[in-house]
Amino acid sequence: MKGGYSQPSRARLKANDLFSKWTFLGPTTLLLLALLAYPIFYTIQISFSELNLATFAPKGWVGWDNYKDAITDPGFLNSLKVTGIYLVLALPLQMVLGFGIAYLLNVEWKWRGLVRALFLIPMVVAPVVAGGVWKMLLDPLWGIVNYVLGFAGIGPLNWLGDPNLAMISIVLIDTWRWTPFIVLIASAAMLALPKDVFEAAAVDGARWWHTLIHVSLPMLASAIGAVFVVRWLGAVKMFDIALAATRGGPGQSTNVVNLYIYEEAFRSLKFAESSAMAVIVLVLTMIMTMIFLRTTKKLEDRF
Amino acid sequence: MSTSTLTLRKRKIDAGRWFRIIAGVAICLGFLLPVLWMISTSFKLPTDIFTTPPKIFSTFTMDNYTSYMQQADIGRRMLNTVIVAIGAGVLSLTLGTMAGYALSRLNIKGGATIGVLILASRGVPPIALAVPMFLVARNLGITDMHITLILAYCTFLIPYVMWLMRSFFAALPKELEESAMLDGASRLATFFRIIVPISMPGIVSTLIFSIILAWEELLFALILTNRNAATIPVAIAGMAADTENGAMWGALTAVGTLTVIPVVIFALMVQKHLINGLAEGATKG
Repeated sequence: MKGGYSQPSRARLKANDLFSKWTFLGPTTLLLLALLAYPIFYTIQISFSELNLATFAPKGWVGWDNYKDAITDPGFLNSLKVTGIYLVLALPLQMVLGFGIAYLLNVEWKWRGLVRALFLIPMVVAPVVAGGVWKMLLDPLWGIVNYVLGFAGIGPLNWLGDPNLAMISIVLIDTWRWTPFIVLIASAAMLALPKDVFEAAAVDGARWWHTLIHVSLPMLASAIGAVFVVRWLGAVKMFDIALAATRGGPGQSTNVVNLYIYEEAFRSLKFAESSAMAVIVLVLTMIMTMIFLRTTKKLEDRF
Repeated sequence: MSTSTLTLRKRKIDAGRWFRIIAGVAICLGFLLPVLWMISTSFKLPTDIFTTPPKIFSTFTMDNYTSYMQQADIGRRMLNTVIVAIGAGVLSLTLGTMAGYALSRLNIKGGATIGVLILASRGVPPIALAVPMFLVARNLGITDMHITLILAYCTFLIPYVMWLMRSFFAALPKELEESAMLDGASRLATFFRIIVPISMPGIVSTLIFSIILAWEELLFALILTNRNAATIPVAIAGMAADTENGAMWGALTAVGTLTVIPVVIFALMVQKHLINGLAEGATKG
């Protein structure tokens, strides 16, 4: 059978092969070009134009005007700051808690599987439901949180009414919603670690923190990096929890950038300015994502 | 002497083990409390919701479910959410799985670049797509339709599915397809007859996570729907905004419970798949 092919039929085979390869990738590529690439270019176009509110179409070229408006808009700058504070507080907290709880749970026990399954529950509560329900729990008057804290002599605290506490509340809600996700991934990563290394360390009489720093953490490095990137990708999109729990308030203290741009575009109908803001956020997010991906790659190579 | 130090050490390890188990269970229950409180509040009378100190037990009532449901057309919104979530989940799974397979196995010229681009698109914040999607949908007259929302959800679901499935396929032994293709089966046939069946665990967990992501999405639902295709998250956002005076807590917890319970039951039924899927996706990505 081999060698029976003549030149043209081999070329046809190759064409066939190319065709069949593209049946796999083609539809997705087309769909994402239409739904992802085109809207991004359209956003960029709008960000350099004025938007005609009669026809809802961009018109004219206004250069960098919208960008100048955006970076001189105190509300936008504030929302970037708020998002930064949220990310700096929430991500490390969730990573440490998630891996810590997973470490705690990493013992042989008959019901371990059940405990792990129960951690799925907060993960499947829609963020908007989480925001709404926590708003109720944190209510200064009727909320259960203040009632319980009262026993410890704390409070009553005006959780969502005080600017600083409101940010802490948002971080708390987000942490409640997302830590279980990290716990589950971290547990799986820990289960996959080779047992004999730990037995050897135990036989050598190594202290637990020694084992943690010199054995567990290096072996978990790539999992930690991967979880961090996934969590980062989710956290930069944070919108629902802030919308449901505080609507950005009090004042502008929890107005994360996604919420601010949404309000600017769809409440104030400033489509052109908000497009410029969206482009700025897109670029910042992409740069940070690239940096994180590079760093995790390096971590993986090192360990 | 050596035996006694050994038993001592064993006892110490045992104590540590039980401390960890008890602490772990306590933390787990702590994470569940807000959900339990939501469910219990949904069955309380309004007068029992607003009390100091908060009441744990109350007269059981279904009022929060019955009275609000018709008024806010919750049944229809629930149906919309189901249609959109399943539609978006299945469409993205089909396309994303095939594309993920192509990127992990088929050595396509320029495929690497496309792969990087598509994976990078996971970093695109939906807000960057919101304005053009709203404008285009408006100008085409397709706002407030299920298909519009389904397509909008594909923008984040397809990259998500590709991300997960690509690493799943990369872990499969290559011999599987090679022998089938030597027997003369086409790539498409090989994919559907051999690769898909053995990848079922990964496919199922990815599908469920995709459906959940679509189920709870809010931003696109807010800007692309009005009356006909609005989903449950839109309704809940409205109720949360109305709680300034605390008036909507009963309805909020009732709808919240209705939204969460099916997903929880579903998730617990296939929890093994889900937890394995999570592990695969994150550690091999």
